[in-house]
Amino acid sequence: MISYLIKRVLWMFPMLIGISLISFFIMHLAPGDVTSTEASFNPKSSEESRQKLREIYNLDKPVIVQYGLWIQRISKLDFGNSFSSHQRPVLWETKDKNGNITKGLIQEALPITLLINLLGITVIFSISIILGTLSAVKQNSWVDKSITLFVFIGFAIPGFWLALLLMYWTGVSNQWLPISGLHSLNYQNLTLFGQFTDLIKHLILPVFVSSLSGLAGISLYVRNGMLEILNQDFIVTARSKGLNEKKIVFVHALKNAILPLITIIGLSIPGLIGGSVISESIFAIPGMGKLFYDSVLMRDFPVIMGILTIGSVLTLIGNLIADLGYAWADPRIRKGITK
Amino acid sequence: MYYKNIKPYLLIFLLCSLIFACGKDNSVNTNYQNYYDKESGGRLINAMTGEPSNLIAMIAGDSASSAIANNIFNSLLKYDESLNYAPEIAESWSISSNQKTITFKIRKGLFWADGEKLTSNDVMFTWKLVTDPKTRTPYASDYQLVKKASAPDPFTFVVTYEESYAPALDTWTALHILPEHLLKNEDINSTYFSRKPVGSNYYKLDGWKSGQQVSLTSNPLSINGKANINNLISRIIPDTSSQFLELTADNIDLMNINPIQFQRVFPSRKDLRNKIGLYKELGNGYTYLGFNLKKEPFNDKRVRKALNFAIDKNEIIKGVLLGLGEPLSSPYKPGTRWNNTKLKPYPYDSIKALALLNEAGYKKNKDGFLEKNGKILQFEILTNQNKQREMTAVIIQRRLKEIGVDVSIRVIEWASFINQFIKTGDFDVVVLGWSLSLDPDQYNIWHSSQQEPGQFNFLGYKNKRVDSLLEKGRVELDISKREKIYHKFSDILLDDSPIVYLYAGYGLSAINKRVRGIMKPSPPAGIYHNSYDWFIPKILRRNEISDI
Amino acid sequence: MKKFIGNSLALAGLVIITTVLLAAIFAPIISPYDPNFIDIESILIAPTYSHIMGTDGLGRDVFSRMLYGAQISLLVGFVAVGISTGIGIILGSVAGFYRGWVDSFIMRIVDIMLSIPSFFLILAVIAFLTPSIWNIMIVIGLTSWMGVTRLVRAEFLSLKGREFVMASEAMGSSDIKIIVLHLLPNSMTPIIVSSVLGIASAVLVESGLSFLGLGVQAPTASWGNILTDGKEYIQFAWWLSLFPGLAILLTVLGYNLLGEGLRDILDPKNK
Repeated sequence: MISYLIKRVLWMFPMLIGISLISFFIMHLAPGDVTSTEASFNPKSSEESRQKLREIYNLDKPVIVQYGLWIQRISKLDFGNSFSSHQRPVLWETKDKNGNITKGLIQEALPITLLINLLGITVIFSISIILGTLSAVKQNSWVDKSITLFVFIGFAIPGFWLALLLMYWTGVSNQWLPISGLHSLNYQNLTLFGQFTDLIKHLILPVFVSSLSGLAGISLYVRNGMLEILNQDFIVTARSKGLNEKKIVFVHALKNAILPLITIIGLSIPGLIGGSVISESIFAIPGMGKLFYDSVLMRDFPVIMGILTIGSVLTLIGNLIADLGYAWADPRIRKGITK
Repeated sequence: MYYKNIKPYLLIFLLCSLIFACGKDNSVNTNYQNYYDKESGGRLINAMTGEPSNLIAMIAGDSASSAIANNIFNSLLKYDESLNYAPEIAESWSISSNQKTITFKIRKGLFWADGEKLTSNDVMFTWKLVTDPKTRTPYASDYQLVKKASAPDPFTFVVTYEESYAPALDTWTALHILPEHLLKNEDINSTYFSRKPVGSNYYKLDGWKSGQQVSLTSNPLSINGKANINNLISRIIPDTSSQFLELTADNIDLMNINPIQFQRVFPSRKDLRNKIGLYKELGNGYTYLGFNLKKEPFNDKRVRKALNFAIDKNEIIKGVLLGLGEPLSSPYKPGTRWNNTKLKPYPYDSIKALALLNEAGYKKNKDGFLEKNGKILQFEILTNQNKQREMTAVIIQRRLKEIGVDVSIRVIEWASFINQFIKTGDFDVVVLGWSLSLDPDQYNIWHSSQQEPGQFNFLGYKNKRVDSLLEKGRVELDISKREKIYHKFSDILLDDSPIVYLYAGYGLSAINKRVRGIMKPSPPAGIYHNSYDWFIPKILRRNEISDI
Repeated sequence: MKKFIGNSLALAGLVIITTVLLAAIFAPIISPYDPNFIDIESILIAPTYSHIMGTDGLGRDVFSRMLYGAQISLLVGFVAVGISTGIGIILGSVAGFYRGWVDSFIMRIVDIMLSIPSFFLILAVIAFLTPSIWNIMIVIGLTSWMGVTRLVRAEFLSLKGREFVMASEAMGSSDIKIIVLHLLPNSMTPIIVSSVLGIASAVLVESGLSFLGLGVQAPTASWGNILTDGKEYIQFAWWLSLFPGLAILLTVLGYNLLGEGLRDILDPKNK
């Protein structure tokens, strides 16, 4: 178990180098750099000042050199400052000589995306287990068919269309939920509990919309997994022993079906992080997706690299946790019996 | 016996009160039509698609930053509602007889929002900052033309130019004066002041929730007196369809809308028209089709003029802007003195277009395309990701196809557009826009010396007479003489047709009717010039405690 | 075959897809108007007899644009999946057949690619190159080959031990012959299922890219860009949202139902 863990952690480093290499060189595919954005087509601005900017940001050096400089800084956990958001630090806050704290871009965006994704994963996990099990137990009945249909429709709806329809229905026609944003305007004045409910109200739609597609895949997976397991010998044995059907399904079968689910969910983390671009834009949520999209348009390389790196690290960690969880949950691995 | 009968009524009563308690208070709607006297207080919520990056306007390049910074800082001068120069930090100014020196008299008794006195030292400091090579500003060039600046006493600021510079006063309306006492020991490029500014204008920064909203509150020490509305909140909502939903749900008061919303959506919704007012104003810019003058066949004036005649600008204004725009015949805002009213826009005349193209050597081939020396007249229109420009290009494509020109369209994201195509000169034709200052000087765009990569004469225009007119216009301070110069300039430009003027579009705003004091029709300076004077009657204000 | 008809959902999927395919193929014939015909007198007209799905912001007939948009959606789907499946088959076969360090190397690259949020990568690359239908198809293809690779490799691993393979090897058949003639045909199930599902996913990605302004560009009609054009007036010009939205929904649904149905039918493990 320990050796497994160590091996996995060690693998992460070459993976990270690979990821960063791919990301860095793709970024430099980009024609244009941060000096070519908005201000630069204002007839009042000048080319010399833009050239000066380029020199300061090392954009005039060859790509390999820029990569080397970047790796050097990353190893000290210095992700640099954003080009376009006025020098705000990419990763973590900095304090200036007067004690003013400027928060890092990822520092502010990440918790929000993490929150939405964790809520999303919880929702997906719980609902898909229910739906998948129901479907499997009542295979080919109309319950099974309608759940399958519902789940497929959820996967097939273009996210931003659904988002707009829901925003209209819940926020304009009926004033049930807020339409966009993360907090209400009077957030400061609310009690702690009030703040909590306010946040939940703002997150209901974004979490729902972004987890809908994951729901489909995973519900199906649970259904198929359960179907397979329910036909296996040990279940037949349990039935013949006269055990309670409910217990068979929910305890014995489910336990086995959930195991691979853990890995699958780990694998769907990059999808959740990536899918957030659209829902964050529509729901005006300042998370990693929106930050990434803006920095791509602004050619803000430090931020782009920072997000790809951090995003990938999170995915790797997520997968590691998922694998560890799997290893622990599966008694065959836990007890060291090799497959 | 009694209460047996009462019970159902009680139930109905309870149900009704529940419904009414939960429903929206519709009585507010009638109040929207009433007249109210001015009163101070209240909160205005508007929406922005982008977030400000830096509230020091000279460093920030984006419009979100300058929009917020304009509420916090003042310049030496401003424009009044008729677009004349008016005092702001400077109470008066005079130009020396040799026309090279401007002496500004600073108003006495001005304060920064933190209580410190605002004097000419701050102006001097700001000028030094913007012209300092270490300052990362794209806007230094105008201020670098000042050969010598001095502040002989706390209420006088003097600048001397190498040569008389006509756009000078305009440049002093655009430089936000910064407080020396807070910035003298700071590195302007990285100072925290950009997120916690102290200014002198109607508002000061109250809070800034990164990625979510920026809130401003009224500045009691404002040099111009107190604004009526206490609180300005700008919510950052990147998607315009979400903004529209928020507007209709009464969660925001103000947003920019597009022609379809203005002309079709609002007119079809009486409920919206009751709560929300629509405003339009002509901006200071225009959209054009630009030819790469260094490439064949665009170096041939006949071809350019022909294409100009072949494009129906009225159709574009009607189709893309739903009528909310005006055609142009010179690169100036209609209604201003710089606009030469003797010039008429090129009318849509496909016959004349064909005649000119025939003259230039193009004949229709058997497929219906115009051909010269075996090559058909074919080019690509490039534009950036802007809905209106895309639609315009599509309409142009159709019209040109009718006379036998084969046009393809390519839409490119901005940064790629500038770097791969504009800077390298690798393009045929572009559909773009200029957003101009109020000074008529257009040297940067049309002078033949401004053709280096990164400069604005990227079309490659070269006309000796225009060059000398532009040079003269820059140093001529007499307004009527200047007017003649730029009228002549527009005349030559129209004849040369290096670009096709497509339209000057209206800026369209939807503002909730609780906001009063907005001038209609909009004055030359636009509806926002007196936003400090807008007010929200108490009865129409949002309940500060309720959820939004 | 009987199983197929019995699996009603898969059947429904097939019906939907066939309809879309026919619409796309016969678009030039069925289409009442030229999809690019601008008519500024008819801007944003609600569905009526002459324009059964209404008109858009430039007066173009939405029904015609939807038909041609079907061509685009299917094209994007087929080409992107063609690329990703092609890459996946090659890499998966090589990894599964040769094992050893080749296998490790390929799987590490798969892991790396899987760790980068693919939508981010697609977004960045398309923004940097210019959005065009070819770039979109290629980029989607280049970022979705990992699943097929893994599936093919897994099939190869399990098939390698079987007698017919060992027999071929004993006969001295070349590697390629074994791979192409014996192993691949038996691995087709996951490849087919994943291709069908991949088409669905590509159509959705294109609509997402259109929302961000990076999808198929004007004046070409795609369901994604018709939907995006209409998002500002979703209450007013409901037809600009309803029809493309439903079309994307049904098409993706159709492919998913078909894919899952095929999986059920072709998988020998199922009862």
